[in-house]
Amino acid sequence: MREANHPKMEENQLDPEKWVDRYSDYLFNYTIVRVNDREVANDIISETFLAGLNSMKNFKGEASERTWLISILKRKIIDHYRKSNSNKGQAELKMNFPDSENEGDWLEERVADLSDMTAEDQMENRELGLAILDCLDQLNEKQAKIFKMKTIDGLDTETICNEFNISPSNLWVIIHRARTSLAKCLEKNWF
Amino acid sequence: MKGISIMKLSCTEAASVCNKAEYKEANLREKLRLRLHLFFCKTCKDYHQNNRKLTGLIKKADIKPCSAEQKEIFKQHMKNGSSKTSK
Repeated sequence: MREANHPKMEENQLDPEKWVDRYSDYLFNYTIVRVNDREVANDIISETFLAGLNSMKNFKGEASERTWLISILKRKIIDHYRKSNSNKGQAELKMNFPDSENEGDWLEERVADLSDMTAEDQMENRELGLAILDCLDQLNEKQAKIFKMKTIDGLDTETICNEFNISPSNLWVIIHRARTSLAKCLEKNWF
Repeated sequence: MKGISIMKLSCTEAASVCNKAEYKEANLREKLRLRLHLFFCKTCKDYHQNNRKLTGLIKKADIKPCSAEQKEIFKQHMKNGSSKTSK
């Protein structure tokens, strides 16, 4: 067996207490681009966590915790499509048109909007988002959390310093480290 | 020492100002000193450019954070063993 060579064996264990804090952002961004509806996405993620909880005994530790949760999530998303298709009694292909509900259905009316950002661009940006979250997962938890609060949630320095009880210069050191490792992590595919 | 270095910035300081600038938290004096430093220092110039690029990528990715309230709801659901919010 090669188990002894596995550097991070202890990582492949389940820790459901931390699932929500650790994976919600990634799962949400993964789901929202596929179902295009906040509420539906949240329902699916909630079901995923529950399903994970109920099938913990099936986890063999071969994949990482997150990979495992994503495999459950994928099935939940497919289930969602099955359900919404059977409700309507017909196949439905959801696509991400710029203004789906209110604008007219005519293709001509959509052409102008689409030229703004191509479908490929959109795909690329979604992947980029997941890649960034992926890289953030590799930082230590506190670093990643502070970086997200500052950069993605756009909170101001004072709020974050108060919450973590750190000085502003501490915060900037953490931000610096996070940005440096993030850039390094993204370098290969995105820079 | 202090007299000559009023406008001078070490690379560590430059990096710090550079980061602050990405969050629009560098003041004018800091930004001027950074400019001057970047004019002479190739390493920091590269860092600055990479940093700009990183900000651009993050903006482009338009990551949607899951709200703290939503996370609480998830936790509640996990505790209750049901995805319906109990009312």
